[in-house]
Amino acid sequence: MTDIKEGLNNPENSGLKTQPTYWKSLKQLYNDPEFTEASHHEFKEGVTDDFEVSKLSGLSRRKFLALIGASAALAGAGCSNYRDKGSIIPYNKKPEEIIPGNANYYASFVNSCKCGCGVLIKTREGRPIKVDGNPDHPVSKGKICVKCHASILSLYDPERLSEPVKKSGKNFQKISWNIADSEIRNVFSSIGDKEIAVITHSITSPTTLKVLKNFTNRYPSTKIYSYELFNDELRNSAWRKCYGSGTFPLINWDKAKIILSLEGDFLGTEGNHLENSQLFVKGRDINNPGNFSRLYVVEGNMSLAGMNADYRLRLRPDAQFEFVMSLINEISKKTGYSQIGNYLLPSFAQKYSLSKEVLEHLINDLIDSRGTSIVYAGDTLPEKVHIAVNYLNEILGNKNLYRNEVNVFLYPLSTTNDFKNLISSINDGRVGAVIHFDSNPVYHLPYDLGYSNALKKVETVISLVELENESSVAGKYTLPINHSFECWGDAKTRTGFYLMQQPVISPIHNTRQKEAVFLTWIENEGFEYKENLYHEYLISNWRENIYPTLNAGLPFEQFWLGALHDGVVSINENVATIGSFNTAVLSELNLTTDVSGFAVILKESCTIGDGRFANNGWLQELPHPVTKVTWDNYAAISQTTAKELGVDYNDFIEIEIAGRKVKIPVFIQPGAADKTITIELGYGRTHTGTVGKDVGFNANTLLSSTFNLSPYLYTSAKVTKAGGSFEIVTSQEHHSFDDELIKDAAEKRGIVKEGTIQEYLNNRQFLNEGKEHSLLTMYPDHPYTGLKWGMAIDLNKCISCGQCVVACTSENNIPVVGKDQVKRGREMHWIRVDRYYSGSIDEPMVSNQVMLCQHCDNAPCENVCPVVATTHSPDGLNQMVYNRCVGTRYCSNNCPYKVRRFNYYNFRDHFDDAYQLDNLFNLVYNPEVTVRSRGVMEKCTFCIQRIMESRETAIKENSELKGSDVKTACQEACPTSAIIFGDINDKESEISKYRNHELGYHVLEELNVRPNVTYLAKLRNTKEKA
Amino acid sequence: MNKSLLDHILRIRLPITLFIVIASFSVTYFVSRAERDGIGYTPQQPINFSHKLHAGDMNIDCQYCHITVEKSRYATIPAVASCMNCHTVARKDRPDIIKLTQYYNQGKALEWSRIHKIPDFAYFNHSIHVNRGIDCTHCHGDVKKMEVVGQMNSFTMAACLDCHKNAQERLPELKEINRGPDNCFACHR
Repeated sequence: MTDIKEGLNNPENSGLKTQPTYWKSLKQLYNDPEFTEASHHEFKEGVTDDFEVSKLSGLSRRKFLALIGASAALAGAGCSNYRDKGSIIPYNKKPEEIIPGNANYYASFVNSCKCGCGVLIKTREGRPIKVDGNPDHPVSKGKICVKCHASILSLYDPERLSEPVKKSGKNFQKISWNIADSEIRNVFSSIGDKEIAVITHSITSPTTLKVLKNFTNRYPSTKIYSYELFNDELRNSAWRKCYGSGTFPLINWDKAKIILSLEGDFLGTEGNHLENSQLFVKGRDINNPGNFSRLYVVEGNMSLAGMNADYRLRLRPDAQFEFVMSLINEISKKTGYSQIGNYLLPSFAQKYSLSKEVLEHLINDLIDSRGTSIVYAGDTLPEKVHIAVNYLNEILGNKNLYRNEVNVFLYPLSTTNDFKNLISSINDGRVGAVIHFDSNPVYHLPYDLGYSNALKKVETVISLVELENESSVAGKYTLPINHSFECWGDAKTRTGFYLMQQPVISPIHNTRQKEAVFLTWIENEGFEYKENLYHEYLISNWRENIYPTLNAGLPFEQFWLGALHDGVVSINENVATIGSFNTAVLSELNLTTDVSGFAVILKESCTIGDGRFANNGWLQELPHPVTKVTWDNYAAISQTTAKELGVDYNDFIEIEIAGRKVKIPVFIQPGAADKTITIELGYGRTHTGTVGKDVGFNANTLLSSTFNLSPYLYTSAKVTKAGGSFEIVTSQEHHSFDDELIKDAAEKRGIVKEGTIQEYLNNRQFLNEGKEHSLLTMYPDHPYTGLKWGMAIDLNKCISCGQCVVACTSENNIPVVGKDQVKRGREMHWIRVDRYYSGSIDEPMVSNQVMLCQHCDNAPCENVCPVVATTHSPDGLNQMVYNRCVGTRYCSNNCPYKVRRFNYYNFRDHFDDAYQLDNLFNLVYNPEVTVRSRGVMEKCTFCIQRIMESRETAIKENSELKGSDVKTACQEACPTSAIIFGDINDKESEISKYRNHELGYHVLEELNVRPNVTYLAKLRNTKEKA
Repeated sequence: MNKSLLDHILRIRLPITLFIVIASFSVTYFVSRAERDGIGYTPQQPINFSHKLHAGDMNIDCQYCHITVEKSRYATIPAVASCMNCHTVARKDRPDIIKLTQYYNQGKALEWSRIHKIPDFAYFNHSIHVNRGIDCTHCHGDVKKMEVVGQMNSFTMAACLDCHKNAQERLPELKEINRGPDNCFACHR
C-alpha cells in the first residue's frame, strides 16, 4: 500500500484541491488491484458459480419432453370445466373493530427496547404486520429504534419455544404447564432457608416489581438480582459523588451551541439515542444557518456521533482522563480557576499528536459559549472521567443545559459484589433454585465470576425465555414466555409519564406471560391458571396503587381505557433540583493508569444490542452504520496498528487481557486511534435460533469482574497475530462504479456535494454557481399536470442510523438473504445508506447519503426493458410490475444509481434451508405488497401501497388527494425527519420548498435523467481557515 | 408419379390440414373464451342461499350483508352472525337454516366457494369503485335475479381497462365520472 499523500498528490486530482477526494473504502483509496479488477466485472466473484453446466440436472431432453407430455395429458384428464377459485371463509361472528382490508393500530411498547419507545402496532385482520412510533409518546414522538421495528419478526420467529420443557438426562422433554408448575411449587415450598435467586434484566415495570415483591413475601428466601450488560452506572455514580444524590439528568442537546462528546455515541447506542438525535438535528436546521451547533468528537473508533462531527480527534479511550484534565486546566487557566494536578494540554496534544488548531478552536468555543455548551462522556469511560466532565461542565456554567427530567430506576442494578456473593452462596450450597427471568446471565456476566460453573451445582434452574439461550440450556426447566405483542404491562422509564402495554394478538404458542407464571407459583397447589391472570392483576394494581396517586379526575374505567388507547399516561412530577458541586471529589481526580500497550474497548452492537436480538434476520442483515459490515463483529483497528501487527482485513488476531482471550478477525477502520481495539459485543451466541447461532465472535470473554477503569475498557492488552483469516462481509463495495473509467466518481460527478456554514452564509448560491450546464435530451417533455411525487433528503439531518432500511424491509416484504448472498452483492434492501470517506485515512471526514430509486423522469431503466415491465406513471413514479418481469436485468445494468435488486433465488426458501418458508413467517408480510418470487427485479416504489391507501381515503371522503397525505415508510421511521415526501407540483408544499432550495441538488444531474429525489447538501460548521 | 403426389400434398392436403387446424383452434379459442375467463362459473355452495329471494323479492340492500364494500378493499361475505340477525326467528324450520344455525352455534367457519377472483398480483379496491357511484351490477351482473350466483362478466385485465379507458361510454348514468387510471401501479404493486 502506498502512502496516502501520494494518492492525494496524484496529478489527476491536483486541479481539484478545493474539494475533498471521496473514497468508499481503503481498497479503493489505494487503487488495490483486486478492487479495481472487481469493479470491472458486473458481478462479484462466484456469483455465477451456480450455473455450471455440470451441476445442472441430469434429465435429458427426451425424458424432459416425455415428462412434460405425460403431465400435460394428466392435467388434461384431471381438468374440470372451470378452474377452482378456492373459497372465502367469513368470520362466524365478526369482531366489531375489524374491517377486513383495513388496518387497526394499537399503542404499546416493546419489552427489550431500553429507550422505552412508544409504539403503534399495525394489525390486519387481527395479525400484527408493522410497528411504528406512537406520535403521542412524549419522548420518541412517533419514532422508534431499529430493534422495535424488527421486534415484529421476533414475534413470528419459528424457533420460539412453544411448550414448557424439562431436562431429563441430556435432552429436554415436553411437559405440561400444570406439571411444571406443581413440580416447581413443590421445590419452592420445601426449600427451607435456601435462597431462591431471581435474575432479571433491569425492571422497568412497577407492576412486575410488585409481582416479584409478592413472590418474595410468599417465599421469603427469595433474592432479586438485576443486571444490564450495558448501563450508565458509572456516569450515575460519578453524578452522585459530585452532586450528592440523583442520577445524571437528561441533556437539552438542541440548546447546545457547542457539543463535545468524549468516546460517547449519543447518536448511536447510548442513552435514549432516538431522542438525542431528534434534539441534536434541531440545532442543524438549514433554514436557520446562523444557529448551527458545532459537534466536536474525541474518540478511539469511528462512531455514529464521530461520523456526524464537525471536528473529530482520535484518541485512545484510556487517555481520555488525561485529556479532560488537560482541558480543565487549560480552561481554568484562561478563566481564572485553580489548576488540578499537572496535566497540560500542549504536552498532551504533542504526545497523542492531536491537531493544535482543532484544540484551539475547541478551547475558544467552550469558553465563548459558556452556559450553552455541553461536554458528554460515553458510558464506557471510567467513573473518574465522568467526575472530571461534571466538573468541566460546572466551571463552564453548562448546568442549565441539564433538563428537569431524569431517568427512573425502579429497582437498582445489582453490583458485581452482589453477584460474587450469589456465586459463593451457590458454591456453598446455600441456593436452592435459580430463576432466569427473561435474562441470559451465562452469556452476559463476566466469565471470571464463574457463573456457568456454579449453575451446575444448583438443583433447580428455571428459565423463563422466548428463545432457547445459553442460560436456559444449562437449566432444568425452560418455560416459554409471551412476546411483547402478546403481553400486558406498564413501564416507568423516566419522570413525567407511564407507558402502557397491551397485547395485539393472543399467544401464538403455548406460552404464558412471565409475570403470570410467578403469580401461579405464589398460589397454592390446585390453582387454575387463566389467560387473564396478569391482566386482572395489572388492573387491580393500577386501580389500588397507581391511579389514586395521579389525580386523573376521571372514573377508573374511563381512565384505564384512555390510558390503553394512548399508550401513555402523562403526569406531573417534580424533580429534585441539582445540588451544588462537591469540590472534595476533585481530590479523587488522579489516575495513574499505564496507557502503554493496547487499549481494548467493548461496545454495544449498533444493531443487535447486547445479543438479545441475535436471532433477528432483519437486524443481522442491517449494515453497520459505519463499517457497513453485516452478519459479524470484528476488531476495529487503525491502519498503523494493523501494519504494526502485520495483519490486514480479515486476518485473525488474538487479544489477551490478564489471561482472558479472544480470537477475532480484523477490520481496518479509517479514523481509529492507534493501539486501540474496538469490539462490539452481542455476537458469538452459541444457543439461540438458526439465524443468530455462531454469528460473529463472542468477545464477552474479555469482560472482567475486577476492572481498573470500567467494565468495558481495558488497557495494556496483549495483541498478537493469530494466523488464519475469516471473511467479513460488507455491503459497501457493492455497486461501485468502474474506477478506471470514472475516477473518484463521488467527487467528480457531484454525488456528494458539501460546503461549510461560512461558505453558505457568504454566498447562498455557492453550491451550484458556475456549474450550470445545458442538458440536451431527445425526448419531448412530458407534462405532469396533476400530482407529481417527489422526495427530498436533508443530508444535514441524516445521521445515517439505518432506521429507514429496517422500516422499508418491514413495510415492503423484503427478504433476508443471509451472509453468503450479501457477499455476492445480492442483499435486497430497497434503500441503503452510502458512506463516503474523504481526507486522509487517519483523519477522515465522512459523508453519508441515503440512496434509493430516484424515480427519474427520463428513467434509463424504462427504455431498455424488453417486456415493458417497468414504465412511468402519470404522477411521476417509476413503476415496476413483477408479473410482467422476465428477469433480463437490463434495467439494473442501465440504472446509474444501482438501486434495483434482483431475486436471484426465491430467497424465502434459500436462506438456510427454507427457514423463511415456515408458515409462521408468512404472517409478517404486508398483505398490500406482493411477495416477489425468483427471477424478478424489484426496487423502491415510493410506498405505492400507502399512496393508494390515501387515494382510497380521499375518494371515500370525496376530497382531493394531497401530497402531504402520504408518508412513506422510511419517512415515517426517520428519527430526525430528514426525509420529506410529497407533491412537487404543489408550490405551497414542504417538498417543493426543499426541491427548490439553494442547497438542493440531484445526484448525477448531468445525465439528465431528471431524478425526483432531491438531496440537500451537507453543511459542516467548521471555522474558516485563517 | 412422385411429382404429382408431392403436387397433390402441397396443393391440396397441406392447405386443407392447415385450414382445419387453424379453424378448429380459432373456433375453440373463441368459443371457450368465456369459460376460460370463468364466465358462467356457478359453483355449488354449502348453503343454498338465494340472492333472488333476498336481494330481489325482498329487496334487501346489498350493503345490509356486504357491509364493508364502502369502507375497504373487500366487499366481504357476511359473517354467519349476520344471517342469524333474521334467522334466529325467520324460517327456522328449513333444512338450510337448520344447517346454518348449527354452524353458528358451533362457531364453525362456513366455507363459501369463491366465484369472482382476480389474481393475487392485482389489487382491486371495492370502496374506490362504489364510492365513485359505480353500481355493483356493472361487474357482478344482475344478482337480484340469480337463484344461484355465478360469474357474469370477465374479470381479466382487458375487461378492467375497457371500462377504465371508456368510463363515460360504459357508465353513461354517471355524468361526472373520470376515466379510471390505466397506469401499472393502479393495480399492481
